[in-house]
Amino acid sequence: MADIVIRIAASNGDGVESSGSLLSKIAARSGLNAYYSRGYQSVIRGGHVWSQVRISDAQIYSQGDGIDILVALNQDAIDNQSGQLNSGAFVIYDTSKANADVLKGKGYKLVGMPLIELAVENAGDPIARNVVSIGALLKILGLDIKVFEKILSEMFLRKGQAVVDNNVKAANAGYNFAGIEKAYELKGDGKARYIINGNTALAIGAYASGCKFYAAYPMTPASTIMNWFAANENRGVVFKQTEDEIAAINMTIGAATAGVRAMCGTSGGGFSLMVEGLGLAGMTETPIVVVESQRTGPSTGLPTKTEQGDMLFVMHASQGEFPRIVVAPRSVDEAFYVAADAFNLAERYQCPVIILMDLFLSESSRTVDSFDFSKVKVDRGKIATAAGSERFKRYEITPDGVSPRSIPGTQGLEFIAASDEHDEYGDLVSDVLAGLEVSVETRRKMHEKRMRKVDTMLKNENVFVPHVDTEGADYYLVCFGSTTGAALEAAERLRAAGKKVGVISFNYLMPMDKEKTKMLLAGKKLIDVECNYTGQLAYLLAANAGIDIEHKILRYDGEPITAAYITEKANEIMLKW
Amino acid sequence: MNYSSSVKPVFCPGCGDFGVHAALLRALTELNIDKSSVAIVSGIGCSSSMPHLFSTYGMHSLHGRPLPVATGMRLANSKLTVIVTTGDGDAYGIGSAHLLHVARRNVDITMIVMNNQIYGLTTGQASPTSLIGAKTVSTPFGDIEEPINPLAVALSAGATYVARGFSGDPMHAAELIKNGILHKGFALIDMLSPCVTFNTLNTYDWFRKRVYKLGADHDPSNFGKAIEKAMEPEATGWEKIPIGLFYQTKRPTYEELDVTTKNGPLIETPMPSSGDVEKALEIYK
Ligand SMILES: Cc1ncc(C[n+]2csc(CCOP(=O)(O)OP(=O)(O)O)c2C)c(N)n1
Ligand code: SF4
Ligand SMILES: [Mg+2]
Repeated sequence: MADIVIRIAASNGDGVESSGSLLSKIAARSGLNAYYSRGYQSVIRGGHVWSQVRISDAQIYSQGDGIDILVALNQDAIDNQSGQLNSGAFVIYDTSKANADVLKGKGYKLVGMPLIELAVENAGDPIARNVVSIGALLKILGLDIKVFEKILSEMFLRKGQAVVDNNVKAANAGYNFAGIEKAYELKGDGKARYIINGNTALAIGAYASGCKFYAAYPMTPASTIMNWFAANENRGVVFKQTEDEIAAINMTIGAATAGVRAMCGTSGGGFSLMVEGLGLAGMTETPIVVVESQRTGPSTGLPTKTEQGDMLFVMHASQGEFPRIVVAPRSVDEAFYVAADAFNLAERYQCPVIILMDLFLSESSRTVDSFDFSKVKVDRGKIATAAGSERFKRYEITPDGVSPRSIPGTQGLEFIAASDEHDEYGDLVSDVLAGLEVSVETRRKMHEKRMRKVDTMLKNENVFVPHVDTEGADYYLVCFGSTTGAALEAAERLRAAGKKVGVISFNYLMPMDKEKTKMLLAGKKLIDVECNYTGQLAYLLAANAGIDIEHKILRYDGEPITAAYITEKANEIMLKW
Repeated sequence: MNYSSSVKPVFCPGCGDFGVHAALLRALTELNIDKSSVAIVSGIGCSSSMPHLFSTYGMHSLHGRPLPVATGMRLANSKLTVIVTTGDGDAYGIGSAHLLHVARRNVDITMIVMNNQIYGLTTGQASPTSLIGAKTVSTPFGDIEEPINPLAVALSAGATYVARGFSGDPMHAAELIKNGILHKGFALIDMLSPCVTFNTLNTYDWFRKRVYKLGADHDPSNFGKAIEKAMEPEATGWEKIPIGLFYQTKRPTYEELDVTTKNGPLIETPMPSSGDVEKALEIYK
């Protein structure tokens, strides 16, 4: 088994992002598994940025640890990244921009390459230095350069055959550079895979389930959802860039009221502005989907760094009480299915569904073998289509709490939705009637009707329970959302080292099936793993399932949690417990 | 067609909003649009209770947010006639950002602002259109802020139909609303609609002395003249307040320009097949 972490580092604007995506695409096409993540800053030029690509012939769930091959395109890259190098690592550096003297005599394989010169010489353009360096990487990794040549010809076809030829030459110059030698034997299974990031998988999952409207105001790390909808407007969807996030959620509510599956997305700051709208969807029982991709807070925080600090916030945001569903996909491919499912849940229970992402999951790409479209089923819930003889009761009190809704344009089923408390017709009980005996009763019944939907979803859906990956382990890592990947790998390593460790992971977090969750967690030795300071999942479990998790592995420095980080801390905990 | 609901208005006796209600009812009745394709959207305020008086579709939404809700409805289904009924605080205060952007987008929405120069529902605070010196519960020493000129704001933001009515003349107001609904694009109708309970300055009498109808000599296609007329109250120290159609022009609506909605209502576009989804995923392989 080969499992290699490659990091390409330079300054912003040097094209490390395209290098990362190219390299991961080559791996995916070669039938290998890849995980591609980025480290960057909130500047457009300058700064220090990197692309990290982990490639393996085995299944992988996270970004990997340390660096096996570093491509340093400037001196900063050497200086900032050398602390992460695994023993015996390769370091390829651009001799015109950096020297690797500080790394000499430490057992690293240092290869200086005149990348810019080679680029100019072969492709007539210094920009091709990324192509040269990828050529070199392919040689080290033992990968077929033909796959890269094909991708280059697809990429540059529009610019003419000459440009294609030049880039192919540049790639081969890197591949054949003296001093670059094959060090790994990566063998793909011949099946080309998708390589896709969490936000794009989410966007396409939403599209697959018939989401036709997306509204957003730009905010990292949610913006790539917006980019997908904007680029794909010609597929029969509408993307609306709004003046602010308040407009985004309210437009989404308008579109959903009019009968279209609609979604908006943002990060914590924008979600803060959406909060009042969330309550409007709750009160008017409008099915909407809201994506919140977390970044490091509070306030503007670290805009390009990850965290899981908003879970309790999105669960409790808004005045008053109303049913909502909160789901945190655990992986890129799960983001696809969760997005598709979110619209069914929203329409079935006529409430907001929040998809809780984070920067790491939103922006990391991973290989996916296939997407199973047969899992995408559309259920639009209770919709009234024919008028009865009586006035339509949009908010009819029903045993399951869900009242049939009508779509504007349908004759005889007109109603006015209200943010004020209302009766079964939608007429207000908030003004002249407020406090009168009859409206006190109406308020109570309407509130109970809405809240009853929580019982109904818990009864009818089987998703509101955690996932246990191994039975009978001595310890369990407990986590939610994107942290799951690293936790699964950490548990695997710990098991390989003879410790019986499993993972209990949550995706559908709210509502929680308290009984089943309690049953699954009770009596086990639990270690909470989260990317925040306070242990929000642990707090949630204490409140909902009466489970107190004493031991926690928490990370809140902006960097995604890794398997190595968890393994080390878990070992410390288990040693004493 | 009967557009009234069984809900009775809860406005104070004499409130200007009665006149606006009558005008909107008349406009709809004259246009005879199928009421199942009409959506009336409001925010929060005395004036925003308006949708409940109608038997159409609609939403009584959040304070300041009827325009985004209405925009979402229009983008989802461009067959709907979407009307916003709101107050001056709702439209020109908390929701002012949306006004600018809906105007520049030219979304086909007719917006009727019941401008009583006061926050009625919250019992009489100053609003963005309260005049300098106005004594209200929140400005007991007199308002010191320059009022917003909603018509000038809408004109400069790109609104394609800009009018002002007076609830004391519901027939005239109905005409402005009717033409606003017929107008393709964003129509702002600022309705002078006195709050008889909290606004002791801008009363019916006060308006009757100052309001006059724009004459046949006013050319609503002339943007410069429209701005000039919009500024007349300020220019005359609030001695002369013109009402009528200030400006109307033709410009494609957002719905007509958007690559998807230009082909027809979004709600009618087909759901993607699994082949369509596969195509969307193809470039990630
Ligand atoms: C976010 C928010 N802030 C404040 C309020 C309280 N509020 C309700 S109506 C209103 C002002 C209404 O004034 P206007 O829009 O002019 O309507 P009017 O009552 O005068 O018709 C305010 C401040 C609210 N409902 N929501
Ligand atoms: S308080 Fe003023 S605006 Fe509100 S209903 Fe009474 S008169 Fe009308
Ligand atoms: Mg007012």
